[in-house]
Amino acid sequence: MSTSEEISALLVTRFGTDPEAIRPEVPLRELRLDSLALEELRLLVEDRLDVDLEDVALSSRDTVGRLVAAVRSKAGA
Amino acid sequence: MTGRGPFARRPARPGIEPFSAAVTGIGLVTAAGVGAERTWHGVCGAGAGPSVPHLPELDGLPCDFMYTVDAPDMKAVLGVAAQRLMDRFSQLAVIAAREAVADAGLDPAVWDSGRVAVVIGSAHGGLPFYDEQHTVLTERGARRVSPKLAPLTVVNGAASSVAMDLGAHGPSQAVSTACSSGTVAIGTAHQMLRTGACDIVVAGGAESVRSRLLIASACQMRAVSTRRDDPRAACRPFDSHRDGFVVGEGAGLVVMERPEHARARGAVVRARVAGYGASSDAHSAVAPDPDGLGIERALRTALTDAGIDAADVGHVNAHGTSTVANDLIESVMLRRVLGDHLLVTSTKAMTGHTLGAAGGIETALTVLALQHQLVPPTANLDAPDPAVPVEVVSKEARHAVFDCAVKTSLGFGGHNAALVLTRA
Repeated sequence: MSTSEEISALLVTRFGTDPEAIRPEVPLRELRLDSLALEELRLLVEDRLDVDLEDVALSSRDTVGRLVAAVRSKAGA
Repeated sequence: MTGRGPFARRPARPGIEPFSAAVTGIGLVTAAGVGAERTWHGVCGAGAGPSVPHLPELDGLPCDFMYTVDAPDMKAVLGVAAQRLMDRFSQLAVIAAREAVADAGLDPAVWDSGRVAVVIGSAHGGLPFYDEQHTVLTERGARRVSPKLAPLTVVNGAASSVAMDLGAHGPSQAVSTACSSGTVAIGTAHQMLRTGACDIVVAGGAESVRSRLLIASACQMRAVSTRRDDPRAACRPFDSHRDGFVVGEGAGLVVMERPEHARARGAVVRARVAGYGASSDAHSAVAPDPDGLGIERALRTALTDAGIDAADVGHVNAHGTSTVANDLIESVMLRRVLGDHLLVTSTKAMTGHTLGAAGGIETALTVLALQHQLVPPTANLDAPDPAVPVEVVSKEARHAVFDCAVKTSLGFGGHNAALVLTRA
């Protein structure tokens, strides 16, 4: 699975997000991901993809595309 | 035995009029059954018997079993997004709350949500998640610990989850007085209705402590039964061979309303909460006052609050934990305060000791007892303790005529509570 698909799968299975709503331009807050959910997601992504996102700063105003890009940059590091 | 029929109520105290809250809905999720009807049939001996399995997480402990709820798929029922923010005690509370509100005939889409309160008791809150995350901390380090620890483990998690699920915007709060939490929650709700703080309250208790940490400690305390060869027979309140309580999980909630509110909408009233009393032993961290003076004070206060004579009480759903000390002290106190005409029961042999949920579950069962004029039996009472000086119903449910019933609860730390309930 691609990074994007991995993140989408986590959002659907762990946060109950509608898969149709997960698009690159959509702000995370529109997926009802608040600050707590983002920290929870960070842990899940780290475990799933074996990456370190400690210094990645994301807020719920950021988009799905920004999230995927940030994870990709760490996965390739 | 019969009750004395219609009774007159005195003013509670000079200047304080009696106040009866209408109980219009019930929700129960217990090891005896999911749903009020299933739990009622279960405690009356008509079900398949409670679920009391050995649990793998308790392997090797002197008590390796507990009463568990055969709950539905929580993700499906509650939704993934909501479920992930609730530990199990909150999930059980939401299921019970939905049933209670539907039973009351209330529709959260149209009610005056600012006048709806939630008061839910719990002794330990989200202890299982705490236990799990402590293991994560020690085995994988601080950076693997979940950020959800605080919101999931706080004792008010059940109250806030129910308020969110129902869209209740009135006051919401937790009550935590150990094993009397559920009873104190309903007493607190009674007081809130009396003062006009709200028109409707969803109140009771919720607990789930499937935690190796807590059960290990309870074993060290020697408070729990070690009858591992027969878990279903381990909890035996008022029996000569009782050797401790057995922990259970569950939730029991009632919908209570100001009487004029229930009347105006034509609600079916199941029973009424007529009086409440609470007290503190100020004696011990775990042991009840040896003479039962604390629970006596709570019960006498509840009777005074209700303006009802002891002789009018026909049935008591006792705390009846199946510990040697509690059952003796409580039963002697009941005889001293209420007399020898009572039909007493403990339903814990069918639900387990659900700790902070117990008072909520057992108050709901007392409401059903009043409605059906039927006293559930105390299961496993094969050899009644001759030192217990009250009549404890055993073997099968018993029909009786009674207009007034009592629920008593005692909590670690000496938190005593009693409710007086009357027929609708």
